[in-house]
Amino acid sequence: MGETLKGRAWVFSDDVDTDLIYHNKYLAETDPRKMPQYSFEYYPGKENFAKEIKPGDFVVAGKNFGCGSSREHAVYCLKEAGVPVILAETCSRIYYRNAVNNGYPVLFVKGLSDAIKAGKIKDGDSLEVELANGSIKDVTSGETFRGDAVSDLERDIMAAGGLIPYLKSKKKAGERDG
Amino acid sequence: MGKTMVMKIMERAAHKEVHAGERVWCDIDRSTARDFGGANCALQFDEITENRGRVWNPDKIAFTFDLQAPSHSEKVANNQKIIREFAKRQGITRVYDINHGIGQHVMLEDGIVKPGDVILGTDSHMNLLGAVAAFATGVGNTDIAASWLNGTNWFRVPETMKIEINGEFPRGVSMRDLLTKIVGDLGAGGLDFLAAEFCGDAIERSTLAERITLCSMVTEMSGKIGLILPNGPVLEWLADRAGGEVRERVAAIKPDDDAPYISVLKYDVSKLEPMASCPDAPDNVKPVREIAGVKIDQVHIGSCTNGRYEDIAAAYDVLERGGFRTAPGVRVIITPATTEVMKRCAREGMIEKFLDAGIVFTNPTCSLCTAEHYGALPGGDVGCSTTNRNFIGKVGKGSHTYLLSPMTAMATAVRGVITDPREIVCK
Repeated sequence: MGETLKGRAWVFSDDVDTDLIYHNKYLAETDPRKMPQYSFEYYPGKENFAKEIKPGDFVVAGKNFGCGSSREHAVYCLKEAGVPVILAETCSRIYYRNAVNNGYPVLFVKGLSDAIKAGKIKDGDSLEVELANGSIKDVTSGETFRGDAVSDLERDIMAAGGLIPYLKSKKKAGERDG
Repeated sequence: MGKTMVMKIMERAAHKEVHAGERVWCDIDRSTARDFGGANCALQFDEITENRGRVWNPDKIAFTFDLQAPSHSEKVANNQKIIREFAKRQGITRVYDINHGIGQHVMLEDGIVKPGDVILGTDSHMNLLGAVAAFATGVGNTDIAASWLNGTNWFRVPETMKIEINGEFPRGVSMRDLLTKIVGDLGAGGLDFLAAEFCGDAIERSTLAERITLCSMVTEMSGKIGLILPNGPVLEWLADRAGGEVRERVAAIKPDDDAPYISVLKYDVSKLEPMASCPDAPDNVKPVREIAGVKIDQVHIGSCTNGRYEDIAAAYDVLERGGFRTAPGVRVIITPATTEVMKRCAREGMIEKFLDAGIVFTNPTCSLCTAEHYGALPGGDVGCSTTNRNFIGKVGKGSHTYLLSPMTAMATAVRGVITDPREIVCK
């Protein structure tokens, strides 16, 4: 079995847009290490996320997480803060792509949106996540969830650490593209 | 089984047969970046190639300065400088600097977008180029920097939803209202990972500006691309700008009659009324009549969704019928999409009339699509805008925005409260 990640849950709704994750006000920033301080500044009730997030905490969301802009800042700001994986029922496609391209894991979790609405997974709950098999346990509530496997290509890109290292390793191996 | 339009486009770019759901590597025809994101791409490319890398093909790269043009801060000014210097070093000549306008529109006018092209850009509304059947998609800086290495990138072949639109728009009702209706019906995630094909007699008669409006808002449903096969005057315009080759391109990507669609939606616009996206989400949709009378502090007309000549002309018509006066206490800002659009507005005498009516007419830029550019709203203010997003605090913390058509926006400017434009144009 793979490693078990343990941390607290930060719970979000459906359709969290990129302005709520990382507001357009800070787009001129080019250094990913400086981005976590702005995370969720505009999300009502989560204004203190940037101050209170601890490395290892999880972002837990409903459907269509990261809709809106193509800004990669919205991935960097969570990755650099030490959030090990995004748990969402679904991600918006650009956000998902940006995560994969940075070797940043996302688990698509069926039923998560309804579970959030029903209070079965709440802010501050202790979670245990096994990335290798997608199993998620809310230790506080006792609920369990399962994340879907991604396609072979996305798994390979993530395993390489992102799109750039993936392309470089392919080039070394003398292969074209994928 | 036949092929959808996006499948045919991807097959050309991937040099192989493709199937919905699979991942393929496609050759990139254009890989572009804006003043926002562009500096990140340039810095990242230099980092991964240890400052020794050459981009795969400088002729296929373009930079567009639109989000914050002219720059409003030292940070933005410096990012723009990073781009200019990178372009010079790499021999990239297509740098559409601060005097051009919104990137996708500028590239269209400059004739560097063809049906069937695969285009990447650091703008989530790149996909408005689906208005001429280019497969264009917004991506992050890693995707752009990676594509500059060898001119390819990975894609999931999307399933397609077909949206058939028929009928004549009633007076005072426009393509924007239809789009708002569709966004409300499908929701913010309604097209996640999907392509859309728009067809029907209302589409066949539509102008390029209307097609751009329609395709740009696919992003607000998390869609990958909305595609319209060029025909009629749009195809003529395109051939004039991008060359006669576009006709063969169009023939090559026409969807098959037996193409697979995951669903088919039908709309009859002859029964449509003016629609609005209410605070604080594009898919929070109501008919304008239900919110009529809401007091507005600021009206903005422009953006990649509704900043073309036809959009501004529609607003002008409402202003003229309203007596060329805006309501006291309402700030009104008009931002054309490109310099070409602005010149036409100037040539036709529209700008002077707008200025006389107390309206601010700005240079072409994305303006209100970022809180840090001009037109930002203070907390407590209520704005209305023809832009495409009204997320919480999008243009200023504590402010709220209604998204409206250019006609409804100008009717609101004339009266000072949200107004159904039919009250003015149907008199």
